[in-house]
Amino acid sequence: MAFSSTAAVAASTAAGALASGRRSAACRASSLSSSFLNASFPRVAAAPAPAQRVAAVTVRAQAVAAGKKSVLIVNTNGGGHAVIGFYFAKELLAAGHAVTVLTVGEEGSDKMKKPPFSRFSELTSAGAKTVWGDPADVGAAVGGATFDVVLDNNGKDLDAVKPVADWAKAAGVGQFLFVSSAGIYTPTDEPPHVEGDAVKESAGHVGVEKYIAGEFGNWASFRPQYMIGSGNNKDCEEWFFDRIVRKRPVPIPGSGMQVTNIAHVRDLASMLALAVESPGAAAGKIFNCVCDRAVTFNGLVKMCAAAAGVDAEIVHYDPAAVGVDAKKAFPFRNMHFYAEPRTAKEALGWTSTTKLPEDLKERFAEYASSGRGQKEMSFDLDDKILSAVGVPVSIAA
Amino acid sequence: MAATASLKSSLLLPCPLSDFSGAALSISSQTRRRSWRPRGARIQVSAAADSKNILVMGGTRFIGIFLSRLLVKEGHKVTLFTRGKAPITQQLPGESDAEYAEFSSKVLHLKGDRQDFDFVKTSLAAKGFDVVYDINGREAVEVAPILDALPNLEQYIYCSSAGVYLKSDLLPHFETDAVDPKSRHKGKLETESLLESRDVNWTSIRPVYIYGPLNYNPVEEWFFHRLKAARPIPVPGAGNQITQLGHVKDLATAFGLVLGNPKASKQVFNISGAKYVTFDGLARACAKAGGFPEPEIVHYNPKDFDFGKKKAFPFRDQHFFASIEKATKELGCTPEYGLVDGLTDSYNLDFGRGTFRKEADFTTDDMILGKKLVSV
Repeated sequence: MAFSSTAAVAASTAAGALASGRRSAACRASSLSSSFLNASFPRVAAAPAPAQRVAAVTVRAQAVAAGKKSVLIVNTNGGGHAVIGFYFAKELLAAGHAVTVLTVGEEGSDKMKKPPFSRFSELTSAGAKTVWGDPADVGAAVGGATFDVVLDNNGKDLDAVKPVADWAKAAGVGQFLFVSSAGIYTPTDEPPHVEGDAVKESAGHVGVEKYIAGEFGNWASFRPQYMIGSGNNKDCEEWFFDRIVRKRPVPIPGSGMQVTNIAHVRDLASMLALAVESPGAAAGKIFNCVCDRAVTFNGLVKMCAAAAGVDAEIVHYDPAAVGVDAKKAFPFRNMHFYAEPRTAKEALGWTSTTKLPEDLKERFAEYASSGRGQKEMSFDLDDKILSAVGVPVSIAA
Repeated sequence: MAATASLKSSLLLPCPLSDFSGAALSISSQTRRRSWRPRGARIQVSAAADSKNILVMGGTRFIGIFLSRLLVKEGHKVTLFTRGKAPITQQLPGESDAEYAEFSSKVLHLKGDRQDFDFVKTSLAAKGFDVVYDINGREAVEVAPILDALPNLEQYIYCSSAGVYLKSDLLPHFETDAVDPKSRHKGKLETESLLESRDVNWTSIRPVYIYGPLNYNPVEEWFFHRLKAARPIPVPGAGNQITQLGHVKDLATAFGLVLGNPKASKQVFNISGAKYVTFDGLARACAKAGGFPEPEIVHYNPKDFDFGKKKAFPFRDQHFFASIEKATKELGCTPEYGLVDGLTDSYNLDFGRGTFRKEADFTTDDMILGKKLVSV
């Protein structure tokens, strides 16, 4: 998806969306203050020409009047979910919605030097407002602005989310969305995890889901697994590329038959956006926020190798026998961890676009051009595993 | 119509899981029947507007037993084409005398060998069927004479197999996935291709592993034998291979749902259970179904053994599962049976009554367990 960065293109996108008769089930009049509208101009060094400035404001007002939403994304400042808010914001902006991203913490912190935060200009140039603050006081952070939709893509438990939820309810937010986790499902003999399956009652995310279900008429929870995509704050495929480009064997715990779900983050964003576009269909629902294919660990190595255009050697090992903690030695849970996005497909008509072999090629292209493959890296745990198993560190040419 | 009325009333009653007789039909099948319209120029003179003259190739062994009952109950005229080696009908465990009498008095038999293509062509042409359910076809050559004999055929419904899918690291299999022209099931693929190439309204159903009472394939039976003998269950590899079982009655229901259904025209559907299961999980599910204690599972590396011609485990040693979302979405087809419920149904109506198809054979088990005892 090409994300435009000019007001003119944003205008034509919004006009196109209006012309295509995009439905909005809940067509609330926006209560955006004019100060908010002014603040959502692209923050560019050179101010846009006066005619463009007027056009942007007019488009926004038109978009809002036509059933476009004002959306607040409360975004984590690190970790595997940070990138979800980034792509979601872009998806909403492209559809003509008004977006504010409230990132936890301070704009000047070191965390903001990492992606996706380092790329926030892509959001602001498309019309998003980016602010920083404490989720315990959202009202102060957003300067009293009000919203139709709030997504909490930050909290993992009620301590973190309750203040956001309580503020949203008091502020009359129409739809409250929460990024939860598919990790809360209890292990099963019968994969996949589907919405409605038992969850670990003590999990923080479960407490949040129960709370928002009680507080909001229109709420939805999204349970992701792993994701790939440019701008990710956390390594995923890089762990495999690091070894493959250095011709190191790839240590895989167990049989390598364990399956997991790795989605391109654009799938997560499109599911969230669809929930915003169809709030009635999404209301009161839990969505596994994943793509619709499982991949085995062995298969993932093969796909990463193919993306890199080289062969890879897999070395299987038993973490207990070797004496390593699989959680530290391998980036994914050492077990079947596999949810399917059945509710999104059935209730929202959502479709997955993740195609791992192709997506990993794109990921590798970025990896290769980043220079990370040439950096000095230590592989202490790998070395420990390989020597325990009796495998040489480098693959014979 | 009496049969339709009794079916509707049975749908209103709570359905005990051990009731095989079709009362577990999903509500959506009733909906489909209401919306069905007669097709083509053929004038229906039978009592029910939607009664079809149906030929079932096979029908006396497993799937066909349940499917034929379902079709007769829906008011269709059903003929089974078999060599007559097995009884055309048999009363099923749990089936009342009255129900069995109703079915056996109505179902018809056409005796013949489907490998005798000339006979197939002439006998079918003489009778003129509306719909063919091909439950036991394996090769495309078997299907051509049927199509030649019935130029006005309204629908050819074929029992294919998810075994046609090309093995993949990305799962589940969807109907659009690549197929393997070299698989053991290539005859099924070639049949699908033939159907596609001929000007016939076809539907192909791809089941995964089928289970349920009267299964002639020792799937659940394999586990039940070991559980009953209080033996450990030897499972190859890590036991985390994921497979999928579908109850035969749910499969019969699905076959019923595609009949006369425009959404099924020239379409392939995966049909199986809503969830998948690991090998180890299946051993545990069978134990639950039969009221056995949690089994001891012994893992082994199949490469360490030469079992000769004997099969040491009833499933292919790989992940193998398919998505049923197309059938759910297009046909309104959702399985009635969860895995433990379905295995319980199978146990209560079959193995638990002392019946099974294959005698227990623990030869390969003893090879595995013997080696396990020896090695430290």
